[in-house]
Amino acid sequence: MRRTDGELILFWTLPAIAIIWVSAFFIFPGFLHPMSPTMSADQVASFYRDETARIRYSMILFNWFGVGLIPTVMLLAMQVRRMAHRTPILSYSLIACAGGPPCLFLIANMFWLLGSFRPERAPELTQLLNDLAWITFTISVPYLIAQCLLLALAIYWDRQEQPVFKMWVAHFNLLVAVALAPAAFTALTFSGPLAWDGLLSFWVKNIAIAAWIVVMGVVLGQSILRRRAEERIAA
Amino acid sequence: MSLLRRVLWNVRDHPKRELWFAWWVMVIFYQLYGVLFFLVTRVQPPPSPAWSTPMVVQWFDARHYGILAGFGIVFLISGLCAPMNALLAYSMRRMSVSQIFGYSYLVMYSLSAIPGMLVMAIAMTAGAMRPDRDPEMIRWLYDFAFLSFSGTMGVFMIGSLVWLVAILLDKNDVFPKWFGYLGLCNALTEFVVAPAWIFQRGVFAWNGAIAWWINMVVFVTYTACFIVLLRRMIVREDFGTGRLPDLPPKPERSEADSVGAMQ
Repeated sequence: MRRTDGELILFWTLPAIAIIWVSAFFIFPGFLHPMSPTMSADQVASFYRDETARIRYSMILFNWFGVGLIPTVMLLAMQVRRMAHRTPILSYSLIACAGGPPCLFLIANMFWLLGSFRPERAPELTQLLNDLAWITFTISVPYLIAQCLLLALAIYWDRQEQPVFKMWVAHFNLLVAVALAPAAFTALTFSGPLAWDGLLSFWVKNIAIAAWIVVMGVVLGQSILRRRAEERIAA
Repeated sequence: MSLLRRVLWNVRDHPKRELWFAWWVMVIFYQLYGVLFFLVTRVQPPPSPAWSTPMVVQWFDARHYGILAGFGIVFLISGLCAPMNALLAYSMRRMSVSQIFGYSYLVMYSLSAIPGMLVMAIAMTAGAMRPDRDPEMIRWLYDFAFLSFSGTMGVFMIGSLVWLVAILLDKNDVFPKWFGYLGLCNALTEFVVAPAWIFQRGVFAWNGAIAWWINMVVFVTYTACFIVLLRRMIVREDFGTGRLPDLPPKPERSEADSVGAMQ
């Protein structure tokens, strides 16, 4: 029997993390009906006063598990290293992207937690913290977009008899990159699909991230299991 | 052979496609960086930290859509840093030094974009989005933005030093040694910018002759040099592990470099 190298353990943390993220998403009172940027300072302040506990618990949960996707991105970077490339440039690039999204998310997370720490403070201050939280959360797409584009490119360039990922995975990543792009411009408007509670900046962006996690989780699992089976036969 | 086939071959089959991809991303990134910061958002060259609050509010008002749209593009494209830093890390991997150098540089510079650029963009966006916000808070966002931009020092300083040490130790001749010393100048700019956290006027303030103008000249020179030197490195690359071959003479180079290799 082969020695445990932990690769599968790291892989199976993915569904656990996904479940925790989904729960935290529903516990946070400002997500299911996303808070509007048109709310006045007083409305924002009373939201933080009324919902203090749920904001704190959901954001503490996110704070604990926000970095949880890094092992998955690293597993993906290692799959890219197995591709038919001549240099490690693309796997280096994925490693360079891995820390960005959790870092940005943690900044947003801290602003939300700060907002709920002293909800009795002047409403304008709470509104400022809330603005900073929502802006940071919504625009946290640059590394995710780059990650999708780099993965797509890596797959297009992986021309060998049995490529690591199938071609549709590359197309799927391009599609996700496109879906994430509008969120970068969220601050331009307070209402409509671009606003941070809007169709594009909130729903399309977050559903695209969720879809990416599910789809990439499945193809990553398949790829890892196939390689391990091949190694067992070879051994 | 048609032009299209030539382009397609270069994109799909060129043996150095990954390196050229990263190099072009780097060139495009720095072009966009200049255009976005100087022309679209107009937040550079920086205004004075000594300005009164009404002046700061007016400064934001004059740039409202420039900041919101320009930093929107920054949020869209700043992931371009990744292949760029990957190429710099690759240059260290090609040297005779330990791989630790490349990985350390990669992680430091990947980290640096957040406090050094994205936090600035977030603070600017928050400052511009509600012109009716309490002016004192707008001024706090102004300080936050410029100080995070100029005052994120360590990652760039230690990062340039890592590259510098790798270049000076390298036996594979990937970079000329003089570029190593230019890296020292770049590291020093990050050192002398520290007083921007203390002074509101004068040469050390965030818009001052030392903290901004001299530093910008050094940074632009350093960047222009490494863009050219990385290009040479790619042309010289033989995918070996020993000394990097010299630059081939001109006519031969253009052939070896692109379509010639197809025949």
